[in-house]
Amino acid sequence: MSFIKEYIEKETINRRNLLIASAYGLGGVAATGLLGTGMARAAIADPTVAWSYRNRTNPYWNEIVSGGEAFMEGIGKSKGELVHLINEGSSEKSLADVKATLARTNGELALAIDTNDAPNARPVVEACVDAGAFVSTLWNKTDDLHPWDFGDNYVSHMSWSDEGPAEQTARILLDAIGGTGGIVHLGGIASNNPAIERLNGLKNALKDYPDVELLAAEPADWDTQKANQVMSAFLTRFGDEIKGVHCANDTIAYGVLEALRAEGIDDMPMVSYDGNPQAVQLVAERKILATVFTNPHWGGGITASLAYHAATGHFKPSEEPKEHREFNGPTIFVTPEDAVAFKASYLDDVPTYDWTDFWGPSNGPIVYK
Amino acid sequence: MAIAGTSDARRSLGFLSRDTLVKWAPLLVLLVLIAFFAVMEPRFLSIRNFARILIAATPALMIAVGVTFIIIMGSIDLSMEGTVSVCAVIFAFCFIWLGGTLASWAWLALPFALLVGAVLGFVNGLIHVKLKIPSFMASLAMGFVGTGLAMVMTGGDRIRIEDEAFRALLTVRWFNFPIMVYVAGLFLLIAWFIQTRTTLGRNFYAVGGGEALAHGSGLNVDRVRIMGFTLAGVFFAVGALLAVGRIGIAETATGNNFMFLSITAVVVGGTALWGGIGGVWNTLVGVLIVFVIGNGMVVIGLPGYIQDGVLGLLVILAVILSTDRKSISFVK
Repeated sequence: MSFIKEYIEKETINRRNLLIASAYGLGGVAATGLLGTGMARAAIADPTVAWSYRNRTNPYWNEIVSGGEAFMEGIGKSKGELVHLINEGSSEKSLADVKATLARTNGELALAIDTNDAPNARPVVEACVDAGAFVSTLWNKTDDLHPWDFGDNYVSHMSWSDEGPAEQTARILLDAIGGTGGIVHLGGIASNNPAIERLNGLKNALKDYPDVELLAAEPADWDTQKANQVMSAFLTRFGDEIKGVHCANDTIAYGVLEALRAEGIDDMPMVSYDGNPQAVQLVAERKILATVFTNPHWGGGITASLAYHAATGHFKPSEEPKEHREFNGPTIFVTPEDAVAFKASYLDDVPTYDWTDFWGPSNGPIVYK
Repeated sequence: MAIAGTSDARRSLGFLSRDTLVKWAPLLVLLVLIAFFAVMEPRFLSIRNFARILIAATPALMIAVGVTFIIIMGSIDLSMEGTVSVCAVIFAFCFIWLGGTLASWAWLALPFALLVGAVLGFVNGLIHVKLKIPSFMASLAMGFVGTGLAMVMTGGDRIRIEDEAFRALLTVRWFNFPIMVYVAGLFLLIAWFIQTRTTLGRNFYAVGGGEALAHGSGLNVDRVRIMGFTLAGVFFAVGALLAVGRIGIAETATGNNFMFLSITAVVVGGTALWGGIGGVWNTLVGVLIVFVIGNGMVVIGLPGYIQDGVLGLLVILAVILSTDRKSISFVK
């Protein structure tokens, strides 16, 4: 049993080392705090730029980060100089990474971040503000957290309101089926805000179409394969009653299309969301009737740009109006008529954005319900 | 090894002995589930719906069959998500590069994808055996490496496979079932052949039943393990090809969820996690149970979030049914 003994000894030493290291780390953070608290930095000449996000496997986040990289090239740096803080869906890791980066850069940081969930936004913002860094958030924050409550250091928050656009695509679908018959909805992860908003959009539109029945709404977790299975089961359950499909995003639509193809159905009206290149192509081919482009490339770039330019003193956030501190991102409808032109101008050849035009493409202030 | 002595007296209790029950319990569960869903919604019991269930199940079946061999050996392979993604992406790149249709040299991409799966499995086995890292950790790490590799190769993009000949896997039906179902059936038979008619197959059981004994009898356990992981890699690759055939898209996310699905299916099918018990037919039943639940829940209109809970309960139930708890001295 000597190996067990050896193992336990080794683990004990490891744990001791970990404790010592943690204590040292905490001490370091505390020391920085002592020196740094209340130190309102006027400008940072060359801040480190970091993007904190889930991971790049997801095409949406891949677009966001590619925008961040394009911004880096726009200010004459290389892609590789963007620091990636990947949280893999963990709020704890998200916060820990931010704190570590603040310590490493001594607060000379311009941070763009999606904090993974709304409650995590406050500790992240407070850590940045305490260290004198500049932070811009995307998507997640609680309704009571506002950039203007933190002076200059909490630069901005951008989100998207999906209810209105989802309602409009729903109307396109409902008109396409002649305003009568059954439809199904395949949604995102049930608890995700965009998933809830997109279903609400559909329900709002349905109020004006009394002859259309929403046969079922089932989560497909933003996943192509899951959507494929759910749609197959819908076909068993409802058969010919299904006249149209409302998909919460493009990746779901791909799975639905293939489930229909397996049954030899290739003319089912459907709409989706997100405006991924492949979906736009399908819109051009009229396989999908409409999708909504939210320009994640621009969103990822401009969020990093706002934090960076506030840090370098290019503009002073506290002098900007509230609608420049909290605003909705752009939404562009893609329909069969304009899909080809849209694809050419936005996707095939990604436009070179002016990263100091912070609010031009944005879509008005965030309205709380 | 967690198995100690068993009581022979209890095992020979006659016709409906514990053994018989244990052997047929998974199939019984499957039949009960089918009956339940059929009563709740008669449309569940149609050929078209069975075809839908099988279409959904085929990629997972191949992956679960692959991991069955590993679990019979008493190890575990968690690299399937990465391996599937890499195989799918490499297949798609080669397929398009070589002409983009099965009628050209692009058919070579099919065997090449299997080769890639074999290589990944081989490396996985080597790391596990030669570096003496537990299979759990070695394969999980390899899985992450695979996902990362697929990510680097695609840059986060999807690759569409539009070739009608390749997509015939899904779109062409013989006797109401698409070709991919027959392909999966063929590979299931091959797996069954390997399991029962080859030395390697018997050796998996020898290693799983008692590794020390197998080693003492002169069996090169390391070699069996490495070959097992290589074989599993090939089946993961078959699963990847069917997954691409089903959706027409190869991407980093192609491998998503297969770890949970396949391990669940293997366990629900009655293959014991400590090795030596079970086989590919158990896995077939296990995969069908998992996908019948997934389909049936939607067909009878139960909310989706209940599905995971029901699956979790089924795993516990399956383990209780399929193993004689009293014969196990300790559980870890």
